[in-house]
Formats: sequence, structure tokens, C-alpha cells
Amino acid sequence: MMREKKKTNWLLTIILILGTVTVFFPLYMAVIIAFKQPSEMTNDVAGALSFPAKWSLDNFKQAMEVTDFWHSLGNSLLITLTTIVLAILIHSIAGYVIGRGMARRKSFRFIYLYIVSGMFVPFSILMMPLVKQTAQMGLGNRAGVILLYLVFYMPMNVLLYTGYLKNIPLALEEAADIDGASTWKTYWKIVFPMMMPMHATVAILTALGTWNDVMTPLVIMSGTGQNTLPLAQLSFQTQFGTNYNLAFASYILALIPILIFYIICQKQILNGVANGAVKG
Amino acid sequence: MKKKMTNQDKTFWAVIIPVLILFFTFNTLPMIKGVIYSFTNYRGYGFYDYVGFRNYIDLFTDARVGKSYLFTFKYALAGTILVNVLSLIMALGLNSRIRFKSALRGIYFVPNILGGLVIGYIFSFIFTYILPAFGNTFNIGFLQNSILASEKYAWIGVLIVGVWQAVAMNTIIYISGLQTVPQDIYEASMLDGASKWKEFWKVTLPLVMPFVTINLVLSTKNFLMVFDQIMSLTKGGPAQSTESISYIIYRNGMDGGQFGFQSANAVIFFLVIVAISVFQMTVMNKKEEQL
Amino acid sequence: MSKNKIKIKKGISVAAGIMMVMTSLTGCAQSSLSEKVEVELVSYKPEAVAAFEKIAERFNETHDDIHLTIDSPNEAMTILKTRFIREDYPDIVGIGGDINYSNFLDADLFMDISDLEEIGMVKQSYLDIDKQLEFVPQEGTYALPYAANAAGILYNKDMFDEHGWTIPETWDEFLALCDEIEASGIQPLYLGYKDTWTCLAPWNALAVGLSDPDTCNQVNMGNLTFTEAYRETAEKIKVLLDYAEPNPYAYGYNDACTAFARGQSAMYPIGSYAIPQIKSVNPTMNIDSFTFPANEAEEDNVLNSGIDLQFCVMKNCENKEAVYEVLRFLYEDETIQIYLDEQGGITCKEGDFDIPAELEGMRAYIENDRMADFQDHHYPSEMSVDAMIQTYLLDDSETATDTFLERFDTDWKRYNRDLIRKVQQYQTK
Repeated sequence: MMREKKKTNWLLTIILILGTVTVFFPLYMAVIIAFKQPSEMTNDVAGALSFPAKWSLDNFKQAMEVTDFWHSLGNSLLITLTTIVLAILIHSIAGYVIGRGMARRKSFRFIYLYIVSGMFVPFSILMMPLVKQTAQMGLGNRAGVILLYLVFYMPMNVLLYTGYLKNIPLALEEAADIDGASTWKTYWKIVFPMMMPMHATVAILTALGTWNDVMTPLVIMSGTGQNTLPLAQLSFQTQFGTNYNLAFASYILALIPILIFYIICQKQILNGVANGAVKG
Repeated sequence: MKKKMTNQDKTFWAVIIPVLILFFTFNTLPMIKGVIYSFTNYRGYGFYDYVGFRNYIDLFTDARVGKSYLFTFKYALAGTILVNVLSLIMALGLNSRIRFKSALRGIYFVPNILGGLVIGYIFSFIFTYILPAFGNTFNIGFLQNSILASEKYAWIGVLIVGVWQAVAMNTIIYISGLQTVPQDIYEASMLDGASKWKEFWKVTLPLVMPFVTINLVLSTKNFLMVFDQIMSLTKGGPAQSTESISYIIYRNGMDGGQFGFQSANAVIFFLVIVAISVFQMTVMNKKEEQL
Repeated sequence: MSKNKIKIKKGISVAAGIMMVMTSLTGCAQSSLSEKVEVELVSYKPEAVAAFEKIAERFNETHDDIHLTIDSPNEAMTILKTRFIREDYPDIVGIGGDINYSNFLDADLFMDISDLEEIGMVKQSYLDIDKQLEFVPQEGTYALPYAANAAGILYNKDMFDEHGWTIPETWDEFLALCDEIEASGIQPLYLGYKDTWTCLAPWNALAVGLSDPDTCNQVNMGNLTFTEAYRETAEKIKVLLDYAEPNPYAYGYNDACTAFARGQSAMYPIGSYAIPQIKSVNPTMNIDSFTFPANEAEEDNVLNSGIDLQFCVMKNCENKEAVYEVLRFLYEDETIQIYLDEQGGITCKEGDFDIPAELEGMRAYIENDRMADFQDHHYPSEMSVDAMIQTYLLDDSETATDTFLERFDTDWKRYNRDLIRKVQQYQTK
């Protein structure tokens, strides 16, 4: 019995390894096209799959210039990081207040349902009024995009935090209360640190959503001269014209930052996502 | 019998009121405005008139909008089923006794972290040039023409990309579901001599049912809102065969001067999403109880 | 009490922190050269970005008091409309003489610029085109026509010379030529219908020859139907498919330009605006053009030409004087020449300008004013006539033409309902 348990299923392992081709093939194509020159693009299979004649970074250099890469990267980083930090601070305390409040008062139960039901509101219904509204409020810019993300991700994150709160014993807070600590202090000193696993989940889910989002920055801040990485891809798509190599170099550039981040924090990311499913 | 406002209550309200204001201002208020615009012939700029229910009546007689709903439903249904079947299989595979487990899990998650737009551009090139090259070299008839150029099959091209990206997330959720199943249950069933197939249906599936619910609701919602893939792969073509609801609302509402009409479309779309989600959750909850 | 105070203090400091982050983000790059009057021009032609960069640079070198910024974003029309929705207006917009102009004008966004002397230097035919684009006749002038384009057939001159092919003047001659080209093993046409708008290029070129330039207006007034007006155009555009690359719906505009530039087809039914793109692939290519021979008799043919670029001043623009100075500069012969050198095309200004070599074959039509505006300049964009044409071309059934024309009429009524009411109200007045 015990020995059987340890036996590796090699057939399945091999099948799964072969299956990774479905992930690697598109990325492989993208990389080699990004390094090739237009003259190397042929219509036969061998030519299409072969390595470029020379591994030169010229396409990348040019693509960086065309898409104003560093600027777009900076904007993407700024928007994503600010959103994450604010989401963790604001959504966690909102989740805490709602979660604890719900137990005692009906009004908080309503607030919970009100916010969580926002999950079903498609962006398309908000899009057009929001374009007008953010502009009138002077928020047709990066700050507006961040603010909107905070609102869009609030339902999911509040759901996650209130769900997680069930794992934190009320006794701790009660003890702190007896010691005379304010609710505010109790939260930041005791509860907030205890929600650490959920902070990671919220950070990851929010980051994946905001980093790759096109629609919000497209309608809120297009034409203001500020681009995020995906928006830059959209804006410069036709400027590449017939030069697929240059376009692919810019795609690779857009994919690299998140890939690096993923390779470094792979374990935390997978755990974070799984966490969200189990606890949420 | 009013309860006394304690200090804690004060803090709670002090926190929740600003949050509610924020949420109301950027979620509820624009939604109300959207509903109001849906009764106008507003272009988005200039002046406008209220037109009563005309936009709604038009919606139900507009062949193009009808077609976009059909496409979106077809796409969401096929996508949800495919994604859930595939990712459950993947999860079972990745959760069994294999080598390089964490590396493989890591690799299969990669499509999910990449942006839909850029992935769409890459696949668009593969569909237009690489696959036809394969088709021509090896004489495979159906590959010789770009799938994206076919009015009948372009949606499958979009589906492939959508599924490729979505499987990753759902697989992880299923894996975490499978990990909640206690090992001794399997050992017990193995002693009974249950076949693997039977074991899956009788033991595993009922236990991961809550995760099936999460995945179904999440993937249906995401597939219904498909936008990036359409924008980068087909722009709604060929012959308007792949216009999704979100795409048409963006294209005609922002660009086409149908701000009012598309607001009405968005209102209906919202109701449809709510109806579908509620339906799914009630049905699945019943299923969960039964099992 | 003191506890509460601390609480509030903390709350305030957190809020203040957030506010500070937010405001630092909103504070967009305000240029430090605030002494100058800023004039912002948004052009809808991203392909002309190089020409406009040069023009803006020259303007800023010669003007100390005004700073001109010219933006040429991609997807410019969407961006421009989004900005209008946001009520974030530039000073000048460079747009085409098309339905968007009609809509913006109808929404009262533009300023009357009839007091600008340069209006007097515009060729009359282009001022007329703009007049026709007004939904209901307006007083005043709201656009300064800058460059026009012409659409028909571009052909590979070297290839034609080599084989001794002659330029067709009638529809039958055109079909005969296509057969002849095909017989010599060359593909006659390249279409690239993946980007739906490319379907409109041959459509317009055929329609100007085969139907009244006033068709859309006539329909709005209830005097005509598209089923009557467009049947021949619809039938003829389908014939082109026989001479084009297989499965043209797989390839977009870029692909088609590249293919034509590389000699993969002898002809390309598109407008003069494609020439810079084609030349970017093959700079030494010898291109010439001819008017689409849509009719059985040469004298019935009309060249498809419209306003490719014109400048409109936004109504709420604050520095009228500075804006006029920019327009005057743009209309100087030298500036126009910079634009033409980069972009090709035909100027809308009276005077001695060369017709580019690539449009030599259309010269007679241009000089004799045998031109009519693009029909699609009157189609509402949300109706997506381009996609309708693509749908029709993909429809193999026998009733395809009837289905298409019927849909054209019914959809037209729906999408133009408010406009039709407006036009008819105006008539009865």
C-alpha cells in the first residue's frame, strides 16, 4: 500500500510535459519573430519555425522608442502598485467592518449585499457615464483610473476579506478591547497583520486584473498622452504597419515585466489564487 | 429599543461611510446615469432628446444586436463547458502522482498572467500565417485558410484563445478544490475496489462541487464580457460574425454616436448577466445539497 | 474623548496621504513655457505624423508667442469622440470631410470661420462638398479644406509597360484587361478585405460612377431607395472577387499594400491615401492610377474624390487669434508643399501645385472637375456599411444582392431616423 503511493505516474508526467507545448509554442513564435528581420519572414513551415539569422536587439530598441516603453511601463507600475496598496488598506478595513458589523446589525448585512452585488455590474454599463463623470471631476487621468479600480475590485475583495475574517477568533479583539485599545488600533495592530495571507491573495488578483486591463485606461485616459503598457500596444498597432517583427518585439516587451514578476513570485501567486478560491 | 452607539460603532460608521460614498459615486451613480441615457438619443456630445422606450424597442428588432447576443451566448456556453472540462482534467493530472509537479503547475498558469490583447495579436499572426503554412506544407485542407477569415469558424479561433487563457485560472481553483478532499476517502474507496472512473464520479466530483460552482459562475461571467480577444483578433468580423456585446457597446457607443442606444443595450446586458448568475447559483446550490 | 481625537487624526492623516498621492497623479505635465499661447491640433491621420511633426517644428521656430502641438494618435476618431464626451476639446481638429464632420457640426461643436481670408483661396468644388455634408444647410463656413484624395485603381506601371496592357475606359474593357492579366499568370487585383473599411474603397469608386452623388439626401427626402440606386454597384463589386486573391477576408489593408508593393498583383482598387504606405514597402515602385471605369461609356465615369483632411476650429476655443495664425501658417504654399511631399494627394487650395506622378492617370478628371464625393461620407458610422458589404460579399446565395439591398434600406431608416425627421421638418418649414 505505502509503496504504491510513492510510485510516480511517468506516463502522465510525460503527457503533461508534452502538453506544455501548447503554452510554449505561441511564446516561442513570438520570440523568434521579434528577433527576425522582415526579409527573413517566409511562408513555409521550416522558415517560420527556424531561429533568426542573428540575435540582434535592434527591433527591441526601435519598438521601445515607438511605444515610449519606459514611460508606459512607469505608468503601468504606478497604477498597479498604487491600486494594490490602496486596495489592501481600504478593502481590508471595509471587509473587517462589514464582516464584524454584520454579526450585530442588519444595516451592515445590507451594506455587504449592496457592495458584493456590484460584482455583477458589467463595465459596459458604467463605461460611458464614467467617461463623462470622471472628466467632469477632473479625474480623466491616472488617478481616475486608480480610483475606478478601487471601486471595481471592491466587491470581490470585500467578499474575500469578510470570508477570511471567519478564521480570526473574536476573542483576540475582545481581549484588546478590555485592555482599552480603540477599535481603530485593534484593527491595525491585531487584525490587519493576521489577514496577511488574504492580503497576498488580494494583491495578486488585483494586480493581474489591473496590469492587463485595456478597457479602463482606454476610455478614461486615451488621448491624454499617458499610456499603460497594453494601451501603448493598442495605440501603436497600426504604426507598425507591415513590420510584424517590430510589432512582436513590442509585444514581448509588454509581456516581459509580468513574466519576470511571475517567475520570482510564482509560488506566492499560485498559493494566493488558490487561497482566494478556498476561503472566498 | 435603540441600541446605544458604542465607540466601536462610531469607528465602524466612520470607516464605512466614506467607502459607501466612493462605491456609490463610481458604481451606482454611473449605473443610474446609464439607465437615464438609455432613454435618450444622445450621441455622447451635443444636445439630445428623450425618446421614451424607443431604444429598447429597437434593441429587440435590431438584427445586429440580436446576432451579437447569439454570438456571445454561443461563445460563453462553449467556452464555459470547454474550460471547465479541460481544467478539471488538467487539475486531476496535475494533482496526481507525477514528477515536476510544481514546475508543471507553474508553466500551465502562464497564459493567465499575460494580457489578452497582446496574446490576441500573437495568435492572430499564428492563425493568419503559421497555421496556413502548416496546412499548405502537409496538405491539411481545413488549415489552409485562416480560420479568422471564415464567417463560420472565426468564432472558434476566438474561442481557442479565450479558452487557452482561462483554463489556467480554473485549473488552479480545481487543484485547490481537489486538495480539500481528504486522502483517506480515496484509500477507503480503493479498498472497495472502485474503478478510477467510478471513484471520480462518486467520490471526487461531489466533494469538489462547490468549486465547480465558483468556476462556472466566474468563467461564464468572463466569457460573456469578452472584449480584448475580439479587439485584437477579429474586430467583430468577418461579416459581423464575431461581434460580442461588450465590443458592440464600445464600438457603437463610444465611436459610433449611439451613446443612448448602446446604454439601453448595456442595461439589458446587465440584467442578462444577473439573471444567468442567479440561475447558475440556485441550480448549483441545489445540486450541491443533493450530492 | 482624546481617544476619539487620535482616531480622527489618524483617519485624517491616512485620508490626506491618499489625497496627496492622488493629486500628485492628477498634476499632469503642465508645460513650463506658460508665457506662450498653447494651440493644440489633433489630426485623425496617424500616417501623416511625420509631415505634421515637420510642420509643427517649423511653426514653433518662427513663432515666439504661440506654441503649436500636433497630435496624430492611432484610432484618432475614437479618441477624439471620447474626448468630446469628456468635454476635453482641443483647439483645432484635422478631420476628413465625412459623416463625422456632419455630426460634429450638427452638434454645434465648430466655430464659423468665414472671416478667415484663407477661405477665399479654397477651390470652390471643395467648399461645395462641405456644404453637401451639412445635414441641414448652415450659414457660414466651418472647415478649411486642406487636402483631397482620389480613389480608383492604382496599378503597377512597370508591369503594365512590360506587358503592353492598356488603361481600360469602360467596364467591359476593365474585365477584358483582368482576363488578359490573369492569362499571363499574374493576379489582377489584391483586395485585403479583413479590415472591413477596405471594402468601401471599390464600393465608393463604383458608386460615384453608377449613382447620383446626392443619393443619400434623396433617400432621406423619400424620393429614392437604395435598392434602386445601388443594385448595379452591388453586382459589380462582387465581380471583382473573381480576379482577386483567394480568401481576401484573411488579409488586411497592411497585407494588401505589402502584396501590391511586392508585385503580387497588377492592380489595387484603393485611394491615393495608400500610396505612402505602399512606397514604404517598395520605395522605388512605379505607381500610376486610373479612374474606376464603372460604366459602359467612358463619358459616364466619374472620379471618386473627397476631402481627406480639413481643419475645423472648436467653438469654445479661447484664442481665436492664435488659432487663425496657425491656420494661416498651415495654408501657406510652403507648408502645403511639405504636406504634399510626405503624403501625396491633391491640395484644396487654388494655385500652382503639381499633381503627384502617381495620380497622373486621373489628371484629366481632376482638371475638368469630373469628380464626386465618397458616398460613404454620408453613411452613419454605427450602421457599419463596410461590414454590411463584407457580409454581402461573403454571402454566396442567389438572393444575396436582394438581401443586402433590402437590409441597406431598412437599416438606413433605422439609423437615420432622427436625421430623416430633421431633414423633412426642415423641408416643410
